[in-house]
Amino acid sequence: MIAQIERPALQPGLPAAELEKLLVERFTLVRDPRDQWDLTLIAPSHRIAEIAAFLRDDPRLRFDMLLDISGVDYLSYPNHRGARLAVVYNFKSTVLRHRVRLKIEVEEDALEVPTVSALFRIANWQERETFDQYGIIFVGHPNLKRLLNHHEFVGHPLRKDYPCQKRQKLSVNDPLIDQLEARLTAKGYQVLDRGQENKAAPIAFGVSPAGTSASQGAGGTVTTIDRPYAGSPAAQAQAQTPSAGNEGKQA
Amino acid sequence: MKVKAPNGETLDLMTLNLGPSHPATHGTLRLFTAIDGENVVGAVCEMGFLHRGFEKMVEQGTYSQVLPYTDRLNYCSAMINNIAFCKAVEKMFRIEVPERCIVLRVVLMELSRIIDHMVCVCTNLVDLGALTNFWYFFNVREQVYKIWEKLCGARLTNTVTRIGGMYRDTYPGFEQDVTDVLKNIEKAIGEVRGLIEHNKIFIQRTKDICAVSADDAISWGWTGPCLRASGVDRDIRKDEPYYGYENYQFDTVIGTTGDTFDRIMVRIFEMIESISITRQALAKLKPGPVNTADARLSLPPRNQVYHDMEALINSFKLVYDGVRPPAGECYDYVEAANGELGFLITSDGGTNPYRIKVRPPCLTQWAAFGPMLEGHMVADLASALGSINILAGELDR
Repeated sequence: MIAQIERPALQPGLPAAELEKLLVERFTLVRDPRDQWDLTLIAPSHRIAEIAAFLRDDPRLRFDMLLDISGVDYLSYPNHRGARLAVVYNFKSTVLRHRVRLKIEVEEDALEVPTVSALFRIANWQERETFDQYGIIFVGHPNLKRLLNHHEFVGHPLRKDYPCQKRQKLSVNDPLIDQLEARLTAKGYQVLDRGQENKAAPIAFGVSPAGTSASQGAGGTVTTIDRPYAGSPAAQAQAQTPSAGNEGKQA
Repeated sequence: MKVKAPNGETLDLMTLNLGPSHPATHGTLRLFTAIDGENVVGAVCEMGFLHRGFEKMVEQGTYSQVLPYTDRLNYCSAMINNIAFCKAVEKMFRIEVPERCIVLRVVLMELSRIIDHMVCVCTNLVDLGALTNFWYFFNVREQVYKIWEKLCGARLTNTVTRIGGMYRDTYPGFEQDVTDVLKNIEKAIGEVRGLIEHNKIFIQRTKDICAVSADDAISWGWTGPCLRASGVDRDIRKDEPYYGYENYQFDTVIGTTGDTFDRIMVRIFEMIESISITRQALAKLKPGPVNTADARLSLPPRNQVYHDMEALINSFKLVYDGVRPPAGECYDYVEAANGELGFLITSDGGTNPYRIKVRPPCLTQWAAFGPMLEGHMVADLASALGSINILAGELDR
């Protein structure tokens, strides 16, 4: 059935100046001088989940869509001062006509960033991609596995010090059974027996703290992926407060 | 695998792996499901089988050398990717391309959108067993590719734009060719609609299958036809018009329930709107230059290069170094066939892009596919997968 309906007028959003004023006053953010075209605000990384929730829920803003999460490595950027890595969150509203980007700076030796995967479903995969490419660890992420690269891949290819011609030998397919079990558990199923065809030992996915080549085996820091890197202060803090986001909430 | 269901029942589930090479995936995608008889109880997706490091490769070359790579993102509508990338770099330079170039780009984008939707719809119908539609659509799609061939020599991966304009102006008779092909497209759409719209089998196979609510679609970050099928009235061409889309008369097509039927139908009716936009754009296509006169972006005319030292240097610098956008970070986007295609470009003021992040529209749909499938049947898997139009080239980059 086809029907012509009148389009409800899209609400004009806040102009960039007002948007900036509101957010800067509320969270003491700084405007990113690198973005001369649109509005990018630099946020303190430990408050990103709180700011993202405010952006999503505030009636004046209603940034209900997280378009993308992307990492940047400023290692070879000319005259760059500040943290080596950055994560850019790209927000858009489906109710109001405005957009904003948030940027957080991540130091190479403190890669932990709070996850926003409990706020936006798509953040789960976007954070996995950023982890894969830059080694940024999203604390509280339910399944921080590589997304684009093979699970045996070592290193983080979009970092500027990863050689572009480097080759790695990758062999075994990801059995995915751990993910499927987690999915079933989240839906209220209890796995009694994995079954003959899935008996193969599950692969332990390692998170390397600094994105160095010591991803698996070396150093003895391999942890299962539902938890952040075990040695980090964030992990210890998180061990005391159970994480808010898991895929079960999304079912 | 043995599981205890939430209702206390013990079930013996079968695990079924689909892909990465399977005819129904139309690419290299992998899906791992737990099924109870015919019903999908749990499903998880994997991607990355076509990952070739687009974002690493583009850092090695100049801005112009990125263009051929963008063709390989969504290869069903390569021109939209070319245009989106050029538009993003042009935004960094704060330049407007000439009027003829803008209108030409609109014509090319809308024709690309039509053939992209055609591939999506007709392969989707093939998965449902309706092969005839495939010939109807691929027949006219071939005619569009004939135009591409005459326009730039390439069929699938066109690289038809340049930063600051086009590869070249159209050939004589381009308008007539497009007008003719639009008529054939209209006819083909009519034929396909006649075959499926009231077809009981088609409706039963697609109605209420893998429905996604509006809230879910937004939280999953969906854009484009799939979001509109869920009833969310968002189209960048209407909301944040670029290239003069505010001057074209067209409707936004939206669905109601967001099921497979809606996703297919939204694409079919969007093709009809795109035909209308293309016709209006053709009427606006006036003679004029297609490349900007800005010396930072465009090669100087040949006769100047031979007689003028500055023009010669300019030509050399543009060929060897390419364009140098000002340092900074800029995001620009277009409404591509699949949704919002965006490029976040970080420039350090040099000749090579420092970092380019692509925002691929179909990643969001693939991320949602597992949960979307649960509770439906294995036979619905193929039709639902076709309707969200996953292109591995764009998904895996």
